[in-house]
Amino acid sequence: MRKLHKKPLIMAAATLALTGTLAVGSAMAYFTTYSTAGGGVKMNMGFTETVPKEEVDENGKHITIKNTGDYDCFVRVKAFAPVELTYNAPDGGWTAGDEGYWYYDDVLPAGKTTEQELNITYKFPEGDDKPEEFNIVVIQECTPVLYDEDGNPYADWNHVITDDSTQTTE
Amino acid sequence: MKKKKKSFPKKPALVLTAAALLLVGSTVGSTRAALTYYSENYSAQMNMQSIGVSLLENDKVVSSRDYVSNNEWKGTSEGTLLTNLLGKDETFTPGKKYNEAISVKNSGTIDTFVRVIITKSWQDEEGKKNTELSPELIELNFLTDNGWQVADAQSTKERTVLYYTKAVAAGDTTPALSDTLRINPSIASDVTKHVTESEKGKTITYTYKYNGYTFHIDAEVDAVQTHNAKDAIKSAWGVDVNVSDDETTMSLQ
Repeated sequence: MRKLHKKPLIMAAATLALTGTLAVGSAMAYFTTYSTAGGGVKMNMGFTETVPKEEVDENGKHITIKNTGDYDCFVRVKAFAPVELTYNAPDGGWTAGDEGYWYYDDVLPAGKTTEQELNITYKFPEGDDKPEEFNIVVIQECTPVLYDEDGNPYADWNHVITDDSTQTTE
Repeated sequence: MKKKKKSFPKKPALVLTAAALLLVGSTVGSTRAALTYYSENYSAQMNMQSIGVSLLENDKVVSSRDYVSNNEWKGTSEGTLLTNLLGKDETFTPGKKYNEAISVKNSGTIDTFVRVIITKSWQDEEGKKNTELSPELIELNFLTDNGWQVADAQSTKERTVLYYTKAVAAGDTTPALSDTLRINPSIASDVTKHVTESEKGKTITYTYKYNGYTFHIDAEVDAVQTHNAKDAIKSAWGVDVNVSDDETTMSLQ
């Protein structure tokens, strides 16, 4: 009768025992779970476009500005002329500010027109050297509405859209 | 006088034997019943040991994964964030703070330790990740004085790993790990200038670098049992932590 070798037997037994340990290990796996969620928002940023509306009468220019673009903005206006100009806002809504501009106080929403008008009056020169005609150049600028950390709107006038219009007056 | 031997009455003996047998039988019966009862109870307790976790955005569950039994899980483990960030017809505004409170609920029946991994990225219109735009400009304001702790060693500009250092009891919800989300307004300074001149005058326009891109936030919550938590966390998350003896708090090493 063939004698059974002991070594292979021991090896086999050890393998079996080790495999058994593995099985015990996986059975002792810890309770874990997970859950995920994700999402995004598209940055729909853009500069808007504003169009000035000017009416001229004997009192000067009456200016309103319409936001014809898709984004809310702030607007400001300045005028140049060879004669002395005076600004006033009879119904309020405009305030004189830096760099000789007059600033519309509120945010001008997309599609809206400034509720109050800004009047620019001039004093026609007198004397012999008075010009027969001169131009009043109105410059209006807009800049997108930005928000500070507390959510308050503010304007960054370093980035503006400029549009100047010239209208001749006598 | 012959003493009459008393004969043992057979009938009562039979009845008594039968009664004794019945009595023994009934005892065995009740023992069996008791065994069956405990066995069922034990089995039921095993089923109660289920782990579960839910991710909450502004107190609303956006995704969850709870163990039921036999390898069955319930819940939607892939949810959507930022769906209610904007109101109707509202456009997203850089710099403005929006409410974004992310918290975790233990929706299972055993206590757990939890961690959350937040990933921020920019994607183009085709949904491809853009690595040139800075994820740091997506500012989710983390709250860390309420039990949440940022694991700086595991975090990058794009990814933040937060651990809740207290065990979350079954049914409990953690404090929010964040309160607001905003995009740094400096992206409004990242513009390209265009000048066009016409008869009417000079027109200056700007184009935003970030216009048309989508900012993304992904959140993953992981939960692990509190029992034997040190080994369980090492095994599940590969992280070394210290756990208090009563297994109610943990800290990063």
